[in-house]
Order: sequence, then structure tokens, then C-alpha cells
Amino acid sequence: MRRISAWVLLAASVLVAVPTAAGQAQPPPKTLRIAVGIDADTLDPAGQTTTTVANMVDYIYETLLRPDYARGTVAPQLATSWTVSRDGLTYTFRLRGGVTFQDGTPFDADAVKFTFERLLDPKTRVPLRFLVDAIKEVQVLDALTARFVLSRPSPMLLSNLTYTTTAILSPAAAAKIGAANLVRDATAAGTGPYLFKEWVRGTSILVTRNPAYWGKAPAFDEVMFRVVPDAGTRETMLLAGDVHMAMLPPAPDVRRLRENPNVTLVQAPTDRVIFIGLNTQWGPLRDARVRQAFNYAVNKGAILSSVLFDLGTVVDSPCPAGMFGYGPVQAGGWPFNPIKAKQLLAEAGYPSGFEVTFFTPTGRYIQDFQVAQAVAAQLRNVGIRASVSTMEWPSYVAEITAPPERTRLQMFVLGWAWVVLDCDGVLFGQFHSSQHPPRGLAPAFYANAEVDSWLDEARTTVDVEKRKTLYHEAQQRIWNDAPWIFLWAQKWYVATVKNLVGVSITPIEKWDAIYATWK
Amino acid sequence: MRAPLGRYVVRRLLYALPTLLGVTLAVFLLVRLIPGDPARLIAGLLASDDEVQRLRVELGLDRPMPEQYARFLASVLAGNFGLSAVTRTPVIEEIGIRMRATLTLAVTSTALAVAAGLSAGVLAAAYHNTAVDYAVMMAALGGVSIPVFWLGIMLMLLFAVHLHWVPAGGTGTPAHLILPAVTLAAFSTAIVARMTRGSLLETLNLDFVRTARAKGMGEGAVIIRHALRNALIPVVTVVGLQFGTLLGGAVLTETTFAWPGLGRLLVSAITARDYPVIQGIVIVFAAMFVVVNLVTDLLYVAVDPRIRYG
Repeated sequence: MRRISAWVLLAASVLVAVPTAAGQAQPPPKTLRIAVGIDADTLDPAGQTTTTVANMVDYIYETLLRPDYARGTVAPQLATSWTVSRDGLTYTFRLRGGVTFQDGTPFDADAVKFTFERLLDPKTRVPLRFLVDAIKEVQVLDALTARFVLSRPSPMLLSNLTYTTTAILSPAAAAKIGAANLVRDATAAGTGPYLFKEWVRGTSILVTRNPAYWGKAPAFDEVMFRVVPDAGTRETMLLAGDVHMAMLPPAPDVRRLRENPNVTLVQAPTDRVIFIGLNTQWGPLRDARVRQAFNYAVNKGAILSSVLFDLGTVVDSPCPAGMFGYGPVQAGGWPFNPIKAKQLLAEAGYPSGFEVTFFTPTGRYIQDFQVAQAVAAQLRNVGIRASVSTMEWPSYVAEITAPPERTRLQMFVLGWAWVVLDCDGVLFGQFHSSQHPPRGLAPAFYANAEVDSWLDEARTTVDVEKRKTLYHEAQQRIWNDAPWIFLWAQKWYVATVKNLVGVSITPIEKWDAIYATWK
Repeated sequence: MRAPLGRYVVRRLLYALPTLLGVTLAVFLLVRLIPGDPARLIAGLLASDDEVQRLRVELGLDRPMPEQYARFLASVLAGNFGLSAVTRTPVIEEIGIRMRATLTLAVTSTALAVAAGLSAGVLAAAYHNTAVDYAVMMAALGGVSIPVFWLGIMLMLLFAVHLHWVPAGGTGTPAHLILPAVTLAAFSTAIVARMTRGSLLETLNLDFVRTARAKGMGEGAVIIRHALRNALIPVVTVVGLQFGTLLGGAVLTETTFAWPGLGRLLVSAITARDYPVIQGIVIVFAAMFVVVNLVTDLLYVAVDPRIRYG
């Protein structure tokens, strides 16, 4: 399917020469139509696995807290204030009064208790249960006060409560729909600005404005999410005026879309860090000098602008900017210095390089396969003969989850993003030795006892400054040990018709268009 | 005639049973042979190992293979093919939703292909070795060689982006059907046109055509009433095969036009390693193919009364 985008590129001249209806003066549409790349797998907040689906669910359901990306903190949503006990084991939330669920029942502490007990029930499918698994019990203190008692301190808990998984359900609506049907039916079950109307499997999801919404009313009567799997088709539908916004049109077309007077390209950096993992337990890559040489050998900036169309920002730390605990280690990333790379390889005993296999997915991350080819070409300049091979995503996942004794990984492309902005997600998830496959998903097999202890402490202490210090230490150490070729934090983008204004992109790969307007 | 034909149909359908049983075993084994853990793929990369393990148990993937196969066979006999691993919806329901879209597209584009392909083929044969013949054959060559995703995008650019005659993709109105049907019909039209032309040219050399001409019949009547009818058998075969293939979901066309058909469902099920959905769709495809082949064979009787079954 990737070839389609190449064809679209070929057709560039046709497109540029053609005036389109998109952007011409039109009255505001009743229904805002958004082309999304995938169909929902579940509308149940508890079952969320994919940010795009969570993005649609956010129209219907709301969480206690919302992320304030500008200030890098959490802000009130269904909870208006909260206190945390000194030992970090008790969280007390004051809930917003006067809020009703879409079914007319009041939003209160009972609903909070119901929602979280459901999330903790092993019978509920909750892939991201780690977000809440520190919670032992939820107590109703009064109608608008709920208390969470934790089994262990969890400094990430407040951030975790901003993610869609923890959105509050109406107990009455949930009972009416039935536990087994919450996957495909969200009728009147949330407090959000839109009501779930219809999901035509494989085609579209329709939501309509909630007239009783407690917050500011959105501008559009209805929002329709149209499922359009092919990126080239999403772009074409936008240009044809079939949709008003399209997520992720083909990356090679982004420059042209930026120049199109009828289209706005909205893009922003995200927390998805793209890297080339180096199996630190394989052959020559066991030597940190070799891994450092790999970092020196790759010109990230050049690849970013020529292969990735500038849809990324070179990282200067293992944890991308904007996350809690982020501390830049090396401005501009590892410098491009092939001479230094050759020198390090010689010191490590590989003056004439070596052969290495290099796995990459295709179409999972922006230009992933092309990036791998560019990196392989640059490694060849310092004598490293990397042979690139690719496979479909499910097989790729089987490769990166193989245990160390069976893994075929030597070098591999991977992107890692967390659902809340805390360095714990990437640092613990990728560099703590407990996360080696098959237990976790840290296929570089990096192991450093000191890093382990810092990361353990940082996820259990509630002392904010202490956590920052621990993360800074860990980032410094990991950076120098170079278990990855550190590349970039990927941008996320949507294209909209010019008339649609007020759309933004969040750092967790969601669009924010609830309060978009028509001009 | 009636009774033997009925018996023939029943016998053909009975023969299909072992075929379908073989299909269940083949698809069951094949999906489990390809790498990829359904529980991990459905839970996502961020899910903890415990959640993945819990999902594995929920999906019954921790059970021994023979038991899994037995459960699968039971679900086939029950007629629901089990629950989708991703959406926990009965597979038969997931298939039903897409079946209408697939049938609509397959029937429309086959009708288009038959209408356009037959006419073009007859014209090419009637004007053999003239400019008309060459033009038809050139167009047919294009039809079989142009990749559908490219043709689809080009049609979209012209008719949706440029001229605004039809929507670019999706479903909802009859207008949404036009571009995908035309795109999908291009290949079949070309095949039907070539087959019609070839078969008709052969027939036109036969004695009975000479007789028809000799008795003073007009050339048009000769071709349509006598020759074409006798030339149709291979064309019917080709149309049947094409239709069967189209029912199997036109994955590329469905993807290009965001058409919610079975082909796309199958691809997304494979990507998620949703075993029950993959198994259900493959069985439905196999069953549809059996039926289409049977209908094709029965059409021979209508076209050529000399053919008898029984």
C-alpha cells in the first residue's frame, strides 16, 4: 500500500495545477468530517490501546484530570482540586458539582468508584492497566469527594489519570448497555461534549453535540470520523472537499500541502522517540565504544531533512523534551563525526568494521524503511556493513519480543511513545533490566545496575525534585552508554481545509479539534 | 431434466463439504504458523506482560491446539465462527456488515464488466483487423496492465478533486459506488473483451455461420443471434471466475476508496492476528467460491442446451 503514496507524488503536477474547492468560501458545515487512518477497535475507555481511537473516545468520555501541555502539568477536568498525603498513598479528589452524564444521571463519587473498580477488575480488558494498578481502593467520602488509597506510592498517578483509559462512565448507562457491549456502544455513557450516535464498522463513527455539556459548547453540531486506511486517499478526500481534516497524509506530500493555499498543515513535536536499538548483548555491539561509533557515524540532521521532510526533532537525551524529568544531555544530539567513529571502531578492535543485520518495519513510523536505508549507507562509510531487511508489523513484533537466547536482533528501528508525559515511560520501559523481552519491550537488552536503582527509586518516591535528579542521572548515563543510535522525536500532523481553524496537535499524537471553528 | 439437475446440485453441494472441512484445517494451521502473537498485538506494545498473558487466556490461546481446533469447528457448526479477538463481536456479525458492501461492489463491477466487455469484444470481432479492433485490444491491454491503486488515484484526482462530479472515497450514496466500481471493473472488462473477441472470431469461422450468411441473414443478426450465443461458454467461465475473485474482496480497491468490504476486514484481521475473523472470512470466501462455480456450471445449460447434468 506504500507504493500508493509514491504514485500520489508522481501525480503532484496534476494536483498543483488543479484548483480545488477546498478552502473556497463556504458556509460552516453542520458536520465536521475527519478522515482517520484506522477504525476503532473498542469504544470502551478501559480497553484503549491506540491514541487515534482514544482521540475519538475523548469526544464522548472525560477523565478526572486533563493534561496541561503548555505548563507541563495536570489541570482540573471532572475533578476540581486534589490533595496528596505526605506518604503518597492517599489521593483525595474534590469533584466538579453540577455535572450530569449524558443519560441525565449525576456525575458523583459513586461513578468514580464504579469506574475505577471496573478498571481494577481482572475480568475487564484493560491493556493499559499499569496506569491505575497502584490503586488499592476507592472510597466515597461524600457525593463530590472521592479518595484513592494506593498500595504503593505512584508519582505518575496524577498524570495517568489524564489518559482516556481512566475516563469516567455513568454506572446507569453502563448497566443499560451491558458490560459486553461497552466495546461498541457508548450511548449516553460519558460526560463529554459530544454524544455517541452511531458506529458503522469499517466506515465511520458519528457523534452529536451534547446539549447539556457542563463546559464550553463546541462549534459543530456533529463530528463524523471517516475511516480511510490509505494515506493518499485521505489527502485526496481532503483536496476534493469530502472531509475537512485528514490525519497523517503521505509524508512525501507534506511540503506541497504546506504550500497549498487551500490547506493548513498542523504539526507539532510528540513524545514518540525514534531510535535504532543496538542489541547490547550481541557480538561487537557489547562494546560501548562501538555503539558510540555508530552514533558518531550517522548524520541525523541530514536524514531528517532529506528523508523525513523535517517531520522530527533530533533528540538530545534518551527522554524526549516536554516530559517530566527531561534533562538535555548533548545539544543537537551525538555529533556527526565519521573520523571519530572510525577511530573508536579501531580502538575497539574493528578497524575494518564488521557485518550486522538491521531490521526495520515498513510504514509503522514516518519513512521508517527509508531511514534504515539511509542509516545503513552512512554506516558503510565507516566500514559497518549493515544489511537492511523488513517485514510486516506482526512478525516484527514477534522479533522484538523474543527472549535474549532466541533473539535475532542486532540493530533494529523502533519508535517508543508514552501516553502521559513522564520520563518513566521511556526510561523504565526501555532501559530497566526487568523490561528485557519477553517480560517487557526493551530489546536493546541494556542492563546497568545503577540505572536500574535510579529508575526504581524514581517511580516510587513522591519527592518531585528527587525524581528529576534521578532521571537526569539516568539520562546522562544511558546517553553515554549508547544502547541506541539516538535519532529524533517524531512530529505528528494533520491537514485541514483552510476554513477550519483552532486545530492543534498534542504531544501524545492526538489532534485537539473539539473547539475548532469555521471561518 | 428437472430431477437430475436437482440431484446434481445436491451432489455438488455435498462434495463441497469435505473441501470446506479441509479449508477449516488449512486456515487454522496457517494462521498459527505465521509469526506474531495475537495477544501482544491486540494489547499493544505498552501493555504489561501480565495483561498480555491475561488476554491470551481470555482468547483461549493457552489451550492445546486440538482443543482450539475443536472449539473452532464447534463455532463453525454453530454458524457464528466465534467472537472477534479484537472487538469481541460475533465474527458472523462482523462479516455480515461488510458482506453488503462487498456484494454491492462485486455485482456492480461485474455487471459493468460484462456490459462493456461483451460489447467491446463483439465490436472488435465484427471489425476484425480494423482500427476498431486495434483500439479495443489496446484498451484491453491497458485494462489488464494498469495497477488498480494507480487507476483509482488517477480517477479520484480527475473526477473528485478536479471535476467534483463524485466523492473521492467512502460510502453513503450511490455516487460513492461509481469510482470503485469502474476501477474494479477495468481489469475484468479487459479480460471479458479479449475472451469474447477470441471466442467469437473462432465461432465466426464455423460452418453454421457460413450457412446463416448464405441464407441471406444480416451480419448483425448472424453475430448476435447465432455466433455470439455459441461463443459464450468460455466467457461465462471467465465471468464466473472473475466474480468469485471479486467476492473475495478487492483489497486494493477497497483500501484506495475506503470501501468497507470483506477484503479490507481480512487484511486488518491479519494485521491484528485476529484468528477467529481470519478463519471466518476464509471459510465464507471458500463457500462463496463453491456456490459461484456451481452457478457458473448451471449457466452453461442456459447458454448451451446440449450440455446436460445428472
